[in-house]
Amino acid sequence: MRDSICIHVDGASLRVESHQTVTSALMRSGISAVRKSPSGEPRGALCAMGSCHECRATVNGVRGVRTCLVNVEEGMTIEREQPVLKTSMGVSVVHETMSFETDVAVIGSGPAGLAAACAAAELGKTVTIIDESPGPGGRIWSHRGSPPVEARPWIERARIAGVQRLQGYSVIDGKPEELKVASVKDGTRHRVLCSSVIIATGARERFLPFPGWTLPGVVGAGALQSLIKGGLPVSGRRLVVAGTGPLLLAVAKLAVSEGAKVVVVEQASFADRSALAIPLLLSPSRWRPARELWNSLRGVEMYTSSWVTAARGQQHVQEVSIRTPQGIKTLKVDGLAVGYGLIPESRVAAGLGCEIDEDGFVRVDEHQQTRVPGVLCAGESTGIAGSESALDEGLVAGIVSAGRNPRSRLLARVRRHRFWGQAIEKAHPLRDEVLQLAGAEDVICRCEDVRAGEIAGCVSRREARLIHRWGMGHCQGRVCEGSSMCAALEGSDSVRPPWTVAPPEARIETSR
Amino acid sequence: MAIPHFLVVGAGIVGAACARELAREGNRVTVIDSGPGAGLQGGTAAGMGHVVVNEGDPDTLKLCLRGRELWRSDAPPMSERDSYWETGTLWIAEDEETLLQLEGAQKKLESVGVVSERIDGRQLIKLEPALAPDLAGGLRVPHDGVIYAPTAAREFLNASPKVTCHFGVSVKNIGDGMVELTDGRIFEGEAVIVATGISVLTILGEAGARLAEKVSLYPREGHLAITARGTRILDHHIVEAGYQKAAHSTSNHSISNHSTSHHSTSHAGSKSGSVACAILPRQTDQLCLGSSRRPGEPGPVDPNMMMRVIDRCERFVPSVKTLPILRTWTGARAATSDGKPLLGPVPGLQRTWIAAGFEGLGITQAPAAAELIRQRIMGESCTLDPWPWDPARPYKNNSALTKRESDHA
Ligand SMILES: Cc1cc2nc3c(=O)[nH]c(=O)nc-3n(C[C@H](O)[C@H](O)[C@H](O)COP(=O)(O)OP(=O)(O)OC[C@H]3O[C@@H](n4cnc5c(N)ncnc54)[C@H](O)[C@@H]3O)c2cc1C
Ligand SMILES: Cc1cc2nc3c(=O)[nH]c(=O)nc-3n(C[C@H](O)[C@H](O)[C@H](O)COP(=O)(O)OP(=O)(O)OC[C@H]3O[C@@H](n4cnc5c(N)ncnc54)[C@H](O)[C@@H]3O)c2cc1C
Ligand code: FES
Repeated sequence: MRDSICIHVDGASLRVESHQTVTSALMRSGISAVRKSPSGEPRGALCAMGSCHECRATVNGVRGVRTCLVNVEEGMTIEREQPVLKTSMGVSVVHETMSFETDVAVIGSGPAGLAAACAAAELGKTVTIIDESPGPGGRIWSHRGSPPVEARPWIERARIAGVQRLQGYSVIDGKPEELKVASVKDGTRHRVLCSSVIIATGARERFLPFPGWTLPGVVGAGALQSLIKGGLPVSGRRLVVAGTGPLLLAVAKLAVSEGAKVVVVEQASFADRSALAIPLLLSPSRWRPARELWNSLRGVEMYTSSWVTAARGQQHVQEVSIRTPQGIKTLKVDGLAVGYGLIPESRVAAGLGCEIDEDGFVRVDEHQQTRVPGVLCAGESTGIAGSESALDEGLVAGIVSAGRNPRSRLLARVRRHRFWGQAIEKAHPLRDEVLQLAGAEDVICRCEDVRAGEIAGCVSRREARLIHRWGMGHCQGRVCEGSSMCAALEGSDSVRPPWTVAPPEARIETSR
Repeated sequence: MAIPHFLVVGAGIVGAACARELAREGNRVTVIDSGPGAGLQGGTAAGMGHVVVNEGDPDTLKLCLRGRELWRSDAPPMSERDSYWETGTLWIAEDEETLLQLEGAQKKLESVGVVSERIDGRQLIKLEPALAPDLAGGLRVPHDGVIYAPTAAREFLNASPKVTCHFGVSVKNIGDGMVELTDGRIFEGEAVIVATGISVLTILGEAGARLAEKVSLYPREGHLAITARGTRILDHHIVEAGYQKAAHSTSNHSISNHSTSHHSTSHAGSKSGSVACAILPRQTDQLCLGSSRRPGEPGPVDPNMMMRVIDRCERFVPSVKTLPILRTWTGARAATSDGKPLLGPVPGLQRTWIAAGFEGLGITQAPAAAELIRQRIMGESCTLDPWPWDPARPYKNNSALTKRESDHA
């Protein structure tokens, strides 16, 4: 049931449908710029999944709320440029800290987290899932209203097995036996006391900077998917879906089915991608979905060995240039979605002391155990291999956390998934050109407006951070560390609390 | 005649300032730092950057004052974001007793010509509306300010083409006027200035070990946090009264004998450490929140310690918990056992100098310390009396010290 409700944006009343995120409600109302960057550029949602922090606003008086993570509510106030109050009058500090005790704390309610929770709970453990999104399902099963059919059995199983959910909470700090969580809506802090932790924080998109990528209306590929699933209408819209990887096709399929006019721009070459033929042949379960995908994309304009070189527009993206083997093409668009594959979200794991490999993945053994006793990890944060893999890894982690031994068939399946994941990765190698699209004047760190030219002479991350403020913003490098300039810097940044920047723990309650 | 050549080991704010001073006189200077650039490791990368005239003891006060003078008049060119910003310090007294201490502080500042202004509780709120309404009063020191030390260190070195830097390589050995790097290279010069912060005595080998018997250097960890942009609810640097006094005027050992701040739960010398409110506004529209003191090397951020710091800040600025925190970190101050920096020639050596041990005031004092080192090395007359900081001070009756004393103009 979708009712129409009233929200207030910068003082003006707006009628919107319920059951959607604030970001999508704003975009539907034509507001794609949510904030101003330090140098005054308009900015809007990029990732639509909580990692870029570009969509943040003051919601119901709480500063720094990621609007993509909260749903609209009747009477909600949203302020885009909120000046700070220089007053101590009427400041009431709300401390609602509670403690939750559980045997197993699962961080993330994507396929991996749900499967882990079900397995552990069905083997008799008390389980609590913590997830910052408004509903369960993670990336692939993100939804509006009722969850997709694939997700329902897992959500139902979890409910029957008595799994508790702390939905809308980010894990921001802690140790293996005690996690600190913060509400994405109002910053309220709670503690989760547990005897083991299963990290299932998934992956985020890799963004590569190019001229115009900071324009509102330029979003991630997966972001477009989440926005559409969250209710953003795209019927009749001209959309370019660009970047690399199988996600582009899934997103294009969804956009087409919703009536958009889609152009797909894939940087990998046909030759690279045909390397997938053999792994695909060896994997019969993937034949049908592949064929369906292919059929649904019939008639979609598709370029391979091609990439977006620039986006242009006033306040919003209006035009996109793409480099194709036939030369540069310029397209008029209503939106651009661009993502260059996935990178693991391993901040929580790093914060808990787990070993992270050079590509950012959490190291686990065959039983999904990290080096830290009592801390397991499953799903995309251990390797990008799709939702089936995430489910199976989750089952393994859940079974192991309950003190049991997973069957060897399950373990063999996990190994096969990994093989598939590697094949996908190999079929989409990033070409040098897409790594070097940003010119000296282009922003590479969106949060702090650091331009490529500024860090051109830098050798170390420390220098880029301390001198040029690269990676010093709200997202703490989640977006900008994916760029090649940053990858070339020496050294790494250590993870420290807060692992995710959360709204403040207190709010000003003006007494009337 | 060959151009004199000096070696500076350590490119923190102090080493970098020394390099600039020496290069100014036309000397060639070689700077070596194990970090990837100037001011990117050690205390300089971690410090708050409050330039403060601290009234701890008369000598410290003078060094701070000269440091501040030089930051105001002689800082290298930097972008507005990083350069000296005269916020002023607002020392805050929680109660009448502490307010009395501030009156005493004002007299001391006055005696050396430092302008300051007493503020009563009501005015305090007008001046800084974000302060808690129940504070007793304060003391405003208008010419204090803020500097961003990592950039300053870098620009000190960029100021002269006579400075050559070698980054990413450690110094293994220091002889008299000689430095040996871990990659085998050897540099020689008229003099070596060792400004490696906490490691200074270790790196000086035998001479350092001898000195360490008399004055020890130890790390004091501090925790800091920074808020998001758009949160600058204060115009002054806010510090609770009694804080720096406890931190600077006494050593690690003696501090536990007479704690000056009655409200802190424990002190810098004890294992659990002490916390006090110090909030620094940044040009980037952020607030830096501090700080703690605890013996030891800086480890990973300890959430409990960080919470204590922020709780303490909340006592003075109640809305501080309504501001989002972006990042937290730790750093170490290099403290000496008698509470004063080591600034002068290494006892027993002729051409090796030391500039370290500034505890929580190294950023403030760096330009003054560097000036003093230059003046002594070049045999010029000194702006400040150098003896309170001379590394040979524990050998009070030692002839080495008396002999040198004669060359002070
Ligand atoms: C944007 C995007 C779109 C995708 N679309 C598709 C698709 O269409 N088809 C497909 O096959 N695959 C898709 N994938 C791949 C998909 O991620 C995997 O197939 C699968 O969902 C991985 O499951 P997971 O459980 O490992 O992680 P995810 O599903 O990513 O779940 C991780 C969960 O952890 C939560 N989380 C992370 N950090 C914290 C924290 N600190 N505190 C609290 N909660 C936290 C997140 O909110 C999220 O709900 C997509 C990936 C991304 C990033
Ligand atoms: C939390 C905190 C807050 C502070 N706040 C303030 C403040 O507000 N105001 C203020 O005035 N002061 C403050 N300080 C103090 C100030 O930061 C320090 O006193 C000052 O930075 C010390 O500078 P330095 O150059 O002596 O040492 P460092 O900055 O530690 O520099 C030493 C350098 O030597 C190098 N080095 C070390 N060993 C070797 C080797 N073997 N070979 C080559 N190179 C080597 C290191 O890489 C480093 O760059 C604070 C300190 C802390 C920790
Ligand atoms: S883009 Fe967020 S810190 Fe760089």
